[in-house]
Amino acid sequence: MTAPRARAARRDRRAILTGLAWTSPWLFGASLFMFLPMALSLWYSFTDYPLIEEPIWTGTSNYARMPDDPTFRRVVWNTAVYSAISIPACTVLSLVLAALLSMRIRLARFFQACIFVPTLVPLVASAMVWMWLFNGEFGLINRLLALVGVRGPTWLVDQQWVLPSLVVMSLWSVGQSVVIYIAAIHEVPRQLYEAAVLDGMSPLRRFFHVTLPMISPAILFNVIVMLINTVQIFAVPYVMFKRPDGQNPAGHFYTMYLYENAFVYGQMGYACAMAWLQLLVILALTAVMFIGGRRLVYYRGG
Amino acid sequence: MTSAGEITRRGALGLMAAGGAGFLVFGPRGQRADTRGRIVLDYWEKWTRHEGDAMMRVVDAFNQSQSRIFVRYLITADIGQKSLVAIAGGAPPDLIGLYAYNVPPYAESNALMSFDDLAPAFGLSLGQYAPGVRQVMQHRGRWWASVNTAGSVALYYNKRAFREVGLDPDRPPTTLPELDDAHRRLVKARDKGPLERVGFFHPEPGWWSWLWAYHFGGSIYDAQADRSLVDSPENHAAMAWMQSYARDLGPDRCKAFKESFGNYFTPENPFLTGKVAMIIQGPWLANLVTAFAPDFDYGVAPFPVAPGLSDPAAPVGLIDTDVLVIPRGARHPEASMEFVAWTQRQDMTELLASAHCKPSPLASTSPAFRATHPNRGIGVHYDIFQSPRAFVPPQTRAWQQFKDEVDTMVQRLWRLEVSPEAALPPLERRTQGFIDRAAEERRRRGGAS
Amino acid sequence: MTTDAPRSPVAHALLYVLLASVALTFVMPLVWMIATSVKPESQAASQRITLLPDPASSLPGVAQENYARVWNDRAVEFPLYLRNTLIVAVLSVVGMTFSSAAVAYGLSRVRWRGRGAVMALVLATMMIPFPVIMAPLYVVFRGIDQTMESVGLLPRFESLRMIGSLKPLWVPAWFGGAFNIFLLRQFYMGLPRELDEAARIDGCSHWRIFWTIILPLSRPALAVVALFHFIYVWNDFVGPLIFLTDRDQFTLALGLQLYQGQAGNTPWNLLMAASTLVVAPVLLLFMVTQRTLVGGIASAGLKD
Repeated sequence: MTAPRARAARRDRRAILTGLAWTSPWLFGASLFMFLPMALSLWYSFTDYPLIEEPIWTGTSNYARMPDDPTFRRVVWNTAVYSAISIPACTVLSLVLAALLSMRIRLARFFQACIFVPTLVPLVASAMVWMWLFNGEFGLINRLLALVGVRGPTWLVDQQWVLPSLVVMSLWSVGQSVVIYIAAIHEVPRQLYEAAVLDGMSPLRRFFHVTLPMISPAILFNVIVMLINTVQIFAVPYVMFKRPDGQNPAGHFYTMYLYENAFVYGQMGYACAMAWLQLLVILALTAVMFIGGRRLVYYRGG
Repeated sequence: MTSAGEITRRGALGLMAAGGAGFLVFGPRGQRADTRGRIVLDYWEKWTRHEGDAMMRVVDAFNQSQSRIFVRYLITADIGQKSLVAIAGGAPPDLIGLYAYNVPPYAESNALMSFDDLAPAFGLSLGQYAPGVRQVMQHRGRWWASVNTAGSVALYYNKRAFREVGLDPDRPPTTLPELDDAHRRLVKARDKGPLERVGFFHPEPGWWSWLWAYHFGGSIYDAQADRSLVDSPENHAAMAWMQSYARDLGPDRCKAFKESFGNYFTPENPFLTGKVAMIIQGPWLANLVTAFAPDFDYGVAPFPVAPGLSDPAAPVGLIDTDVLVIPRGARHPEASMEFVAWTQRQDMTELLASAHCKPSPLASTSPAFRATHPNRGIGVHYDIFQSPRAFVPPQTRAWQQFKDEVDTMVQRLWRLEVSPEAALPPLERRTQGFIDRAAEERRRRGGAS
Repeated sequence: MTTDAPRSPVAHALLYVLLASVALTFVMPLVWMIATSVKPESQAASQRITLLPDPASSLPGVAQENYARVWNDRAVEFPLYLRNTLIVAVLSVVGMTFSSAAVAYGLSRVRWRGRGAVMALVLATMMIPFPVIMAPLYVVFRGIDQTMESVGLLPRFESLRMIGSLKPLWVPAWFGGAFNIFLLRQFYMGLPRELDEAARIDGCSHWRIFWTIILPLSRPALAVVALFHFIYVWNDFVGPLIFLTDRDQFTLALGLQLYQGQAGNTPWNLLMAASTLVVAPVLLLFMVTQRTLVGGIASAGLKD
């Protein structure tokens, strides 16, 4: 009686060892390059750590400082507003483009490639290109506006135009989500559309009543990925707005300020506190989306 | 896709891979000199192009002058911040060419070796340097750095533009009202249309947006009391003065005008193209003239001051320097100091200074140096060095953050988004907060406060 | 499924016009970038809209001059940065692809208790924003150096040193990446179970199955991982920004940033020529591998 069970247990243990062996590269790498730094950063977030000297425990003072820090409030506001505009705008645009491109038309692949290409451009390069396009005097956008008699603003200087300019830039890189949505639309069963046509639904209503619900899992996935990336916006504003003559306050974002605190101002403790707050906010928002998603997202067979 | 298509695609991929591999193997590498048997010192410096070449000549001369030590010149971007990280990481270079304002935070964090202990053995003393320059080499009573090059900041003006509007090209403005007057006469615009030329333009190049208060007889930091003076009457006056320009020219026109400027080190520099007739600049501007507009007719004068403050014997001006330090943890402090002493020799200092188009930081200079100096106004920069009213960037550990905050606010003031009355009191509280926190950090670590 | 295009010719034509203008808008910035890169400086900063330089100046001449100036600039050494980027990209892509495949194998073809938990952990790490680990990661690499010093590896084998080298940019890739593991695991889960069961009965080890059966079968998925990772490394800015100090070690993304910022600035036409040089290899790669890449992204987003 006990012998087979012991043998099974031994087999079980051996399987676990095998599994651990195969996954050990990641387990080791993640411990060293992910979990250990996370633990360190959690510890630093409770210290005064000027980087150049040893950390000294100061309790929650770094967290307590945040509400009174006007720059912190500004970067939170900028990042939140940017995300709140950019994520929905990108989602809507990519859904519309995906819907158009999944029609049976010639050149669809070509159009798709055109839309996808910008996502390949290194962020630093695209920041440069857009600085050139948005230049108040020589930029293509203002030159085009001048053709129709409009004097365009200095996009990247005017406080009220900085965020819209960045949102336009973010729209430029919806290529990846478009591709995901097109693939999702392709998987929607044909019968559903046929039934909808028989019911006399217009193409627009078909989109809202058939396509959207059927691809909602892909939308949820995409929005979450976008959220994680958008909240971390760094390279583009860093290249665009970090100048020897000062930072444009409208182009100052959360991760930029975090970076400055860590590596420029010698406030590593504060930077780590900011990082952990960012992590918690992302986790909370993702959780909210999953819970909200459970009501809105349609999972086939589930 | 046809099989022919597959083949060409494979072929293209293969070709790219082969090209990449070939470049990997045969591509350029960073240069590494033969250093066998010598102490190798890593020297991080920020300069590139002609400025870097000049420093490299000094380094080469040192490497050839003896066979015991070899200095490796490494160009480092964002030097202040990279050095911070490297020292923190326990892997600092042996020598770093920092900005003067980096000295206080580094010194207070115990991240530098003091020159008080090391320098005298190599014949260096503070007395060798021009009085204004000495200020930046010391912090809290200790000596921390030698000076690579030093510049002072003055008014550069376009003589041709002066003549064109009937201003005397040999009598530059000495007070701010005179500057305002010259500016107004120099403004050129197609009525209500875009600006074509202005006299003076605060945000160009915008590197020292905090310094106007000093030309009103004030300051933005009191080193004795360790207090921010951003909300001082002098700074209020300075900001109001700056805003009067933006208001007269029109904030939107100003923004568009600034966007039309070419980059600094190009022939499109707005001073060289004549868009800005008067500019606050260091002596190195003459290098731009030589490079891009050899016939450009410019004059140099101390930057004007508020009425009643003018004193030709004691001009007001910022002294901005590049310093050479030995970080804590450097492996060969003695050898490093030997190199430092080499750079401070009169001939080396002058070699560097004339290539950078700056005055020599030393108290005494050779007659040939001044006679052949490429900047025709170098005398003005010397006068500032000697002046009791010369000033240096605030020497506080919090300066980097202090400055960033002030820069940002000055930009907003320039765009007329906020008034000095609304902006400056909170700015002072905030910058004082940085200073207080730095003091607290110091106390926490048991340093003298 | 694909939906039908509108039947009325007017609607059909409108659809094409719409799509064409959208496509044009998306490629315009790149077209403009390339166009500016072949103009002389004076024409780059002029109010007139022209795609190519004025006929007065010869196009090949200007283009050659601009690109030669970028390539030969002593302050921003393009060829050197290109080589550094290739080193990081090659080492990192090889490590990432191989390790991710192995870990994905362990998470899909080996049955063991705890597999689900590890998979959940992998997925969870995808949510961690980089800033959380950005700063302490430096401390970790310093710790590795110190450990090597204490066991006597350093300074004897100086090339092992992490800080001040390119290693922090590619060594972590050798332990796999969460997203790629996820992608490959999805692929392996789709492979028929009989494949390795038969081999197991024949007494094959996991390693042999992995090496001789699974890897060859998963070539398309491996290509997707390699491509993604290559593009990621090519474009990465923050990693090099934190870990690279010496300009001789800069990567392209970081080198490009040198043009911006500091006092010694560069005219727009040269800036655009430099940007074109950085973008070109990725664009070429895309043209060659479009289908694999796009298919890979599509499948990554779907099989959730």
